[in-house]
Amino acid sequence: MAFLDNSGDIILDAVLTDTGRYRLSKGDGTFKIAKFALGDEEINYGNYNTGSASGSAYYDLDILQTPILEAFTNNASTMKTQLISIPRTDLLFLPVLRINNVFPEGSTSGDTALVASYNSYFVTCNDATTTSTVSMVGVQDGTLATVSSNGSIIMVDQGLDTTQIPYSFNIDQQLKETQYIVQIDSRLGQLANTNGNTGKNPSFVDDDSIAFYYFSLNTDNSYVSDITDTTNPEGVNSTIAGPRGTRIKFRIKASAELMTSDYLFTKLGGTFTFIAEGGPVSEKYIDTFVRVTGATTGYSIDLPVRFIKNA
Amino acid sequence: MATTYKNLLNSDFTSNKTLLHESIPITGTIVSGTYAENNIKNFSHGMFQSVYDYPYLSSSANHIFDITVGYSNESNLSSSTNVQNKQKINIYNEMSQLLVGYDITGSIQQFDEDGDIAAGGTKIQEAIFVNMARLLTKDEVKKGSFIFKAQTGSVNSLPTDTLTINDASGSNGYKVNSPAGEYGVLYVSAVETVSDPWWDVGDPCGLIYYQAGIAVLTASVFQNFGTYGVGVSNPLVGSMNAFLTGTAISGNCEAFRNRFNNLAYNNTTELNSTIYFCRANHNEFNYSTNPTYLSGSKIVVKNNTQENPLSYITSIGLYSADNELLAVAKLSEPIKKDPTTELTFRVRLDY
Repeated sequence: MAFLDNSGDIILDAVLTDTGRYRLSKGDGTFKIAKFALGDEEINYGNYNTGSASGSAYYDLDILQTPILEAFTNNASTMKTQLISIPRTDLLFLPVLRINNVFPEGSTSGDTALVASYNSYFVTCNDATTTSTVSMVGVQDGTLATVSSNGSIIMVDQGLDTTQIPYSFNIDQQLKETQYIVQIDSRLGQLANTNGNTGKNPSFVDDDSIAFYYFSLNTDNSYVSDITDTTNPEGVNSTIAGPRGTRIKFRIKASAELMTSDYLFTKLGGTFTFIAEGGPVSEKYIDTFVRVTGATTGYSIDLPVRFIKNA
Repeated sequence: MATTYKNLLNSDFTSNKTLLHESIPITGTIVSGTYAENNIKNFSHGMFQSVYDYPYLSSSANHIFDITVGYSNESNLSSSTNVQNKQKINIYNEMSQLLVGYDITGSIQQFDEDGDIAAGGTKIQEAIFVNMARLLTKDEVKKGSFIFKAQTGSVNSLPTDTLTINDASGSNGYKVNSPAGEYGVLYVSAVETVSDPWWDVGDPCGLIYYQAGIAVLTASVFQNFGTYGVGVSNPLVGSMNAFLTGTAISGNCEAFRNRFNNLAYNNTTELNSTIYFCRANHNEFNYSTNPTYLSGSKIVVKNNTQENPLSYITSIGLYSADNELLAVAKLSEPIKKDPTTELTFRVRLDY
């Protein structure tokens, strides 16, 4: 997309997204705009220069000169960062989401860690791959056949990641996340809880095959829970340095297509040599990410995931 | 409670309809000359001829209009010995049943010179049809904007004489007794001739159907010299009557194109719009989820709790109730938002 002309009056370039056009074409009344959100995805707030010698009027000069791209029509490619409404104006800290790679969920420490040197979660797609790799840190059994013996899961913590407020403090209720939205490419996998052996059905799948899962505190107890540890510092059970909110944890189950066919591996991925416990193994792979978004606070985090299968 | 979405109330959107007009000029050199006939498409059925704005074998070519001719079976010219007699009658009947309709007995009516069908009067029994492509006409031809200039001089003097035709009355008077929508009468608006003119300014000489995008010209437009009125070179030389009777439809179209000086009109696109007023109150949208907004968890645009938070808006997303992004709007430059400002963004979606 090109940049918008910003030499004159402020203009607004509006388009229907592909999803909007799809719903309009269905003619079943599902095209109904009910709410709006404001976004700022082009803005780099690091350019806010409070040290400008020219005075406070110049603090945001670089930000205001940011060129803006035309609207994307792909609904999955835009409005990635949204503005939030919080009635209080005296907040200096906002909650974030952090990968928790330190919590020993099961019997093995490192249950929540990523695969070292790849900084990704690995998900196996058949029994042979599972057998040769699943005992390694960060590798999940995507077939869910060995869940009971494999503790690798994905965990994300929410809270104020700052040492300026003690972690023993309770997080402000306004800043505590109570609902999460998890997005994953449904062609590749689906979510499952950490102790079950079946996948969870998504709330809906959009036109780009992205599956959306909604999880709420006190409703989806096997997925979302309060972080109760207020006695240990960052790095013991949580990666949040300050007051802690809630936690979401889940596994990924590989899709039936990945388990039974190599088509998507050929089309979307490649091969690599994985140094497994028994020695180097040639694996087919597909790299993707799972997005976790706080439905209330709007903060999101992308989790790198690699699906692997014996080549 | 922190929120990222704001519901739109019934008072936050409204519907509107606007008419958008574009000027469509078509010069005679495109219709004959510039592309050495490579932009003219003839068909094996020989019923009409298509004109493109570029050689039609190119994917860049756009269809601009079709030309065909026909006469009524009640015309004096109608004769079974004519070239393509049946096809010319069929064309006339097809166009008239579509544009003029049927009388109370179910018979196809003829084109009426002044549109007053009930009063009888002069009929257009021999006609040249210019069917303009929807690509250019869009929803309709703007009333009062149609101007056609034809070269009507004798082939002996070649195109020194011209006749300008328009629908000057269309902007404030038009007919609604056609099954194909509204139409206006085409009048002679200017005559440039070195010899005795056949036509006078104000004479009716055709009809323009606005929604159908079809101009119906009486073949008599090219009859100003009686014997020689149309054609540019051998064998396309002869009277209009001779052409209609002795030449195929494609030959008539070719002759017409070579006497086509200029055509201009404005098209009309009917835009149905919904306008959404996205209101950001003073206590809304002052914080951001942008990862660069925080360092650790600290807001980078604030140094203490007394300072106001601020954010910069670049996009407006319009969502369904189930949070699917249905439309998106981008601002041409970032707009600052803080608790001392309230903003209303007017987002218009056209359908």
